[in-house]
Amino acid sequence: MIIGRISRFLSDFDNLMPVFAGACALLFAIGILLLPLPYSESQLYPKRIDRTSSLDPYDRGGPPFTQANISMQYPENSPTAGYVTTYLTPFSWWLSTTTPHLGTTIVAHPGGILDEILYNTRGLDTVVEPTILFIAFAIGSYLFRKGI
Amino acid sequence: MNSIGGPPLFFLEFGDIMIYFSPYTVALFLLALVFTVLAIVSRPENQVEILFGTDAYYGKEIDVPEMRFRRFMSIACGLACMGAMVTGDLFDFTLFVSLVGICNVGIVAAVKTKHVQNAAFQYGIVALTATVPLFGGAAIAAATTGTLSMIALGSGLAGPAPFITRAALVLGVMGEGMAPFYAAKAEMFRAPGAPYVIMCSFSSLLIFLRVVEVVLTI
Amino acid sequence: MWNAYSIGMAAVLATGVIAFAALALERDDLHRLLLIDLVEIPSLGIIALLGTDLAEALVLPGLVVGIAELLALSHIYLLKEGLRDRPEGYLHIEVVEIGHAPAIIASLLVVYGIILSGFTGGGIAGLGVVFFFMAKGHREDFALLEAAAGISWGIWVASFFVFMFLPEYWYLAVMGAAVGILLKVTAKMSLVGTMWGKPHE
Repeated sequence: MIIGRISRFLSDFDNLMPVFAGACALLFAIGILLLPLPYSESQLYPKRIDRTSSLDPYDRGGPPFTQANISMQYPENSPTAGYVTTYLTPFSWWLSTTTPHLGTTIVAHPGGILDEILYNTRGLDTVVEPTILFIAFAIGSYLFRKGI
Repeated sequence: MNSIGGPPLFFLEFGDIMIYFSPYTVALFLLALVFTVLAIVSRPENQVEILFGTDAYYGKEIDVPEMRFRRFMSIACGLACMGAMVTGDLFDFTLFVSLVGICNVGIVAAVKTKHVQNAAFQYGIVALTATVPLFGGAAIAAATTGTLSMIALGSGLAGPAPFITRAALVLGVMGEGMAPFYAAKAEMFRAPGAPYVIMCSFSSLLIFLRVVEVVLTI
Repeated sequence: MWNAYSIGMAAVLATGVIAFAALALERDDLHRLLLIDLVEIPSLGIIALLGTDLAEALVLPGLVVGIAELLALSHIYLLKEGLRDRPEGYLHIEVVEIGHAPAIIASLLVVYGIILSGFTGGGIAGLGVVFFFMAKGHREDFALLEAAAGISWGIWVASFFVFMFLPEYWYLAVMGAAVGILLKVTAKMSLVGTMWGKPHE
């Protein structure tokens, strides 16, 4: 009886979404009840902030492709880990020499340790990520071109 | 290393992301490989509808670009499955599972029928929502244990991941693997070009099998 | 035991409960699509609470996955609802339509973008192309743009594998990745610029 009702409710796929969202809400509520969680002190790639730098707080530069002092998971797998591409565009280089607040515009210049993580030590993540973007664009442009 | 899926036979290194082949993951990987090859070589079936009580029948036209697109999506789905089967990193696993989800959306959405589009949309929303517990679970594991590597988590060096991570991963995979519900409901199996739809169900099954191993390991 | 992490976590999880509850109660499809964006934010918050450089590197894929799936879903939504009459293409500014200004501005942006290379360069060059298409209502070859996006994706992934397996050729890989992402971002932004107009083959 009750199973039949549940099955009828679930057979309409408009109802699956609310069920799933409700399950997620329940999970997050359980998550609140299970707090506090411990925070491990031995983190990978800890953040260092140099308050005196003109790029504060995003001064992530360093020597590229040498074994720099980075705490990573498997140092033996990345013998050349450094700070991959630390570059400023000409405009942001000019800004960094004239103002101490360039670091607040993170979007202007990726690079350094962030690129090292993205490109090299965790490169597979970044390969999968543009693949997802590519697939989504393929779906979008296919539907756009064909219409119904 | 905790040997739920047997001892790892072979490691493939991508920097911090370590791919490992244990007997269990190798078996799943080979299954995914076989089905991807089947998706590449199989030809979409022609569908013939017969009018009941008469001799009349008509064949449904198969749109070649649509078939090519769906074949592309199912091959991408197969590759994503292979990645999800063998990866040894929590966050990488969640990304591969998300890729499986969006490929499944693509396979379903290519059919230009209104109710199928509706199913694709509803499934897409579930798949997008499911990325929240997936990424959240992986990030909580990283914060509480200080590592994302399943090998380190399984060896007991970093301590077991908290319960909330396991629950979030399972819930996330349930969301991404919900495609067969929609495909079946939208009568996708009767739509022309059926072989590609099998990939939906198959990839969902595989990521379910893999997440069991992941949750028991970490 | 209530460290800063747990306090932040409590706040983020509470927002997550609210967002998911809203999603569970919502019935309208368009509003569901909008609420999805709201739901993504707690997930980014959980990742950001890591507070390391790794967190920043993980936020990027999280953000991209959300945006990418939203793009695909909104197209499915348009198709599902049969919304065909999109607003007609381009900026109706007389000077811009007749004069050479768009071409000059666009080419300046593209050249500067190529000099910058990489992600920023791709963004700027793409902006130039988008501006050109918007100003002119240009009929360009859509399939070609898709092919360019695919090829650039190939270059980008290939240079990643050079990074990982042949680190001694890193300079080649940096250049390959820079060119790849330049083409990629440019092509994607022009695709978006094209979608502004009427659908065509």
